[in-house]
Amino acid sequence: MAETCRQFLKDCGVDPERMSLEWASAAEAPRFVELITGYVSKIKDKGPLGEAEGEEEREKLIRHLKAGVKAAQARKPRTALGTLSKKLHKEGNFSKEAITEGVKAKILPALRSERILQEIKMLLSEGALSLDELSKEVKAEKEEVEKHLSTLSKKGTVKEETGKWSMA
Amino acid sequence: MAQENVSMKENDMAQTGFEPRILGFFCHWCCYAAADSAGVSRYQYPPNVRVVRVMCTGRIDTRFILEAFKCGADGVFTGG
Amino acid sequence: MVEAGRSPNIEIITNARLEALEGKPGQFLAKVHQAPRFINEDLCTACGMCTMYCPRPVVDTYNERLDITRAPHIDYAQAIPSSYYIDAKACLRVNYDTCNLCAQTCTAGAIDFSQKPKKLELNVGAVVLAPGFGKVDDEVLEKFGYGKYPDVLTSFEFERLTCASGPTEGHIVRPSDNKPPKKIAFLQCIGSRDETCGNGYCSSVCCMYAIKEASVAKEHEPDLEISIFFMDVRTMGKGFDEARKRAQEKYGINVIRARVPRVDQVDGKLALTWTTPDGEHHSGIFDMVVLSVGLESPEDAEIISKVADIELNHYDFCKTSVDSPLATTRDGVLVAGAFQGPKDIPESVTQASGAAAIASELLSDARNTETITVTFPEENVELEREEPRIGVFVCHCGVNIAGVVDVKAVRDYAGTLPGVVLYEDTLYSCSQDALKSIAEKIKENRLNRVVISACSPRTHEPLFQETLRSIGLNPALVEMANIRDQCAWVHAQEPEAATEKAKDLVRMAVAKARLLEPLDQPTVDVTPSALVLGGGAAGMASALSIADQGFKVVLVEKSKELGGNLKRLTWTLDGQDARKVLKDMVKKIKAHKNIEVLTEAKLESISGYVGNFTSTISRKGKTDMVNHGVMIIATGGREYKPKGYAYGDSPRVLTQLELEEKLSKGKSFLKNARNVVMIQCVGSRGEDMSHCSRLCCTQAVKNALKLKEVKPDLNIFVFYRDMRTYGFYEDLYREARKKGIHFIRYTPEKRPEVIKQARGIKVRAFDPILGDDLEIPASLVVLSTGIAPGENEELSKVVKAPLTSDGFFLEAHAKLRPVEVAVDGVYLCGLAHGPKSLEESIAQAKAAAAKAAIPLAKGKVAVAPIVSRVNQDACIGCGICESLCPFNAIRLEKAGKRKKAQTITASCKGCGICASHCPTLAISMGGFTDEAIMAQIHAFSPEGCKEE
Repeated sequence: MAETCRQFLKDCGVDPERMSLEWASAAEAPRFVELITGYVSKIKDKGPLGEAEGEEEREKLIRHLKAGVKAAQARKPRTALGTLSKKLHKEGNFSKEAITEGVKAKILPALRSERILQEIKMLLSEGALSLDELSKEVKAEKEEVEKHLSTLSKKGTVKEETGKWSMA
Repeated sequence: MAQENVSMKENDMAQTGFEPRILGFFCHWCCYAAADSAGVSRYQYPPNVRVVRVMCTGRIDTRFILEAFKCGADGVFTGG
Repeated sequence: MVEAGRSPNIEIITNARLEALEGKPGQFLAKVHQAPRFINEDLCTACGMCTMYCPRPVVDTYNERLDITRAPHIDYAQAIPSSYYIDAKACLRVNYDTCNLCAQTCTAGAIDFSQKPKKLELNVGAVVLAPGFGKVDDEVLEKFGYGKYPDVLTSFEFERLTCASGPTEGHIVRPSDNKPPKKIAFLQCIGSRDETCGNGYCSSVCCMYAIKEASVAKEHEPDLEISIFFMDVRTMGKGFDEARKRAQEKYGINVIRARVPRVDQVDGKLALTWTTPDGEHHSGIFDMVVLSVGLESPEDAEIISKVADIELNHYDFCKTSVDSPLATTRDGVLVAGAFQGPKDIPESVTQASGAAAIASELLSDARNTETITVTFPEENVELEREEPRIGVFVCHCGVNIAGVVDVKAVRDYAGTLPGVVLYEDTLYSCSQDALKSIAEKIKENRLNRVVISACSPRTHEPLFQETLRSIGLNPALVEMANIRDQCAWVHAQEPEAATEKAKDLVRMAVAKARLLEPLDQPTVDVTPSALVLGGGAAGMASALSIADQGFKVVLVEKSKELGGNLKRLTWTLDGQDARKVLKDMVKKIKAHKNIEVLTEAKLESISGYVGNFTSTISRKGKTDMVNHGVMIIATGGREYKPKGYAYGDSPRVLTQLELEEKLSKGKSFLKNARNVVMIQCVGSRGEDMSHCSRLCCTQAVKNALKLKEVKPDLNIFVFYRDMRTYGFYEDLYREARKKGIHFIRYTPEKRPEVIKQARGIKVRAFDPILGDDLEIPASLVVLSTGIAPGENEELSKVVKAPLTSDGFFLEAHAKLRPVEVAVDGVYLCGLAHGPKSLEESIAQAKAAAAKAAIPLAKGKVAVAPIVSRVNQDACIGCGICESLCPFNAIRLEKAGKRKKAQTITASCKGCGICASHCPTLAISMGGFTDEAIMAQIHAFSPEGCKEE
């Protein structure tokens, strides 16, 4: 879960270090205090969300996240997460490498693709945009955007007119 | 030493005036308990964290984390 | 402890002593004297005002006299009863009728100087003595400079120094100058293994606690240099050797084998001199010396013995025997813990459960005649279904919250939140009268959701849940905002920020409260019988106990007859005839109407959950199904079969058990014997198995003494690494040395070798005292081979109960749940849990029987309502949840055409892994639904944040 979050946060334009996963047992109050204090100070250093990310428009970041939440709800990426967890569990392999690689290869692509799709829909419902503009706005390669656009247009959800895409 | 560093940094930060909003997801059995016990011992730590109690960190869904950032969190601290 | 405090069936009488015990088992009359505490437990809210205002300082004995408290105080924050008490000796009001300040400052009106000593007469069926241990006399400690040099501390004092809530807040400082020490020495065996002070026994726990204290100290102060002076390193508990090794490696703790005779002070530092086994003299200067003091019999042991009419042993501990370690010499009077002999926490907890089992056997006829069950009115379902009407109660907790957080501002803020119809502040929400008033206000205002903004739900939620139940509301409809433990207390210097945080926490709690739903309080019926796996001493003892408590038992034994390893034992460690013990047990089992024995049988599979297990037992080619409510794993262990040491090559090389077998048949085989060599730790402690087998040292000493008895002119040599004759077994070790048995230490680098010669065998070993190799022609070599795990791996897979790295079953919690495994309804005892003596196995078997009998006696098991629920329509039957669940609490079952996931509520712990990994979001968690958590996240934003 944590690794998926980290990789996907990065994809959404959020510094993954803003999320931390720490362990403190019930008996480790001093450790807890140390962790929390250190973490708050780290986030203070990074500044408000968006600042350390160098994202000039906070709105854009929030859009990535909104689409991200939808993506994390979608069945495909969730199945990918479940399947990977099941596999690692079965193999008893909880090494950092296996998790990082697994998430990178299996889960992140599914989440990313779903996020891009959601974001295209969100953007186009607000107005027509060119492929270049879309690709810049959703933080994705043109090819990735094109793939979704072609599927969506086949379904009749979107249409292209004079180089600009809009909802059909 | 480590503590000195932390408090020095805190001073620096006080000048910038930025108080991050942080959401915490704490496991009932571990981190939440540790946080309670920190209270009993009267340890002091920065007041920037708001806590959602869960029965286990396994409950935490990627959606929750993203939603937290969406809702204006500058950081999300999950504690098992 | 909290659990004991909350149980309606446990009455806690503190400040009390037993004055007389009349009658007989089943019908005792206990006369108890109770001294007044001058504070009414029911009214006290533990706010601490009385301590703050009391002008009378007293030495804080809880903190080992290292701190000062006041006449009214509580020993530590979590003490039960959670009420302060007044030290009658110090109090000005009690002694001089002046002052009375505390009574005036107590806002709860709890202080009551009219309390008088009470004489109580209690009718009880059985008595358990658990007075703990006493302290070694200061006189003994004075030899080591204690009392004379301030920087000589006892280990108990040092423990308080390392404690974060202790007098120095966990900082280790020298009492003489309050400066952190650089070099610390721990001296072991202070007041133990020392005949000069009358304590010839080993206290069993000091080696491990010294290592623990040293590790904690190093954790605080990594630059500390710590040396521990041992005679033998006796870390024979389960997993202890491993922990010791880790501590030595990780923290670089210096282990020195020497007994330091005295401590001197030189220039404000402490000087020690010692002699190592190679005969060399050493000396060193330390900043602090910690005396690892032993456990004595309780100070009032003799009084207890007289009052309760029980016998003590020669060290003034309670007298018991190997085959019934928890019974005193008086019927119906039982013993548990250190009063029975020095022991650590896991063993004490185990014994306590075991004593409870015996009491339960004794009183099984009277079961449920005196128990109190709490009943609640029926739930007002209609009100619960209405739109949320939320009441918010913001607690001052005296000054605990209100001293930092602006409680009234928080209260008024709560009033602005959607759904809130009532918002109030209360002085102490948890006090009896406040609870009553909250209940009334809920009723008056027809509230159907309640937010208590106070302390931690971990400690107080059950209390408020009970309040809701008492007025016909589902307990799941209360939510707490923790503005004390996680707010006021930890942000004491930032009242404004703390108030803001408190408002946020209340907003989040209200948001969640709107979405709270009533949850079922499911209970499941229990099949009133037990399955016991293993017919050795542990299995038989637990089966007998459960059967004596009135429940059916199926006892499964893999071999042709009962007995297990006990069959091979000839004498118990206290010299009883082991065969008689075995014969008695088997006879009782066979005659018991509640016990069915299945020999040559094996557990093939088990399904179900606590209360309702179904097991498949294969037996002589056939399989049978057995329904049972609980199960006990008592499958034992086996004697380790040695590799090397010419074992199997020469008939002169035996194991200890083989020697016992021979000895039991007569002494003719010793006719021409002159030298007998015993080698300890064969296979154990890192040779093949990493664990210490715990009892081989005592077994070797016992057998060596037996050999000396039948043939006094034998020369016996015992090669050992650490002699671990813990507890009263130390007596045997001392006797063996007195009788001239030679004990020679070896190191794992230089193990003794057994060399086969043309005629006979010889043993070559390094003698550290001579500093040279030693060759002994041996008539007999006896290998102390230790205990290996049985076929645990296979069973662990069937039961899904985890094993330790050594291959023994892992208990659910070493100290709190020592005889339970992670699977609910499955219990553990005997060698399957780890190496232990017969006495310990029997005590543990009784403990497992006590725990197993709880669901059987209740007849129903309650299930926490925080379990997962599967929306069958949304479930696609992918099985991800089933494979990830750590408790096997969710599984796929046929529902119509497809398989769908289903929660086994009795096993579910509510962790939520299934929910967070469900591809179709079909699983929701009771009390922690996706919607509720999302609502909390949205409410986290002060401006509000909506789901898209």
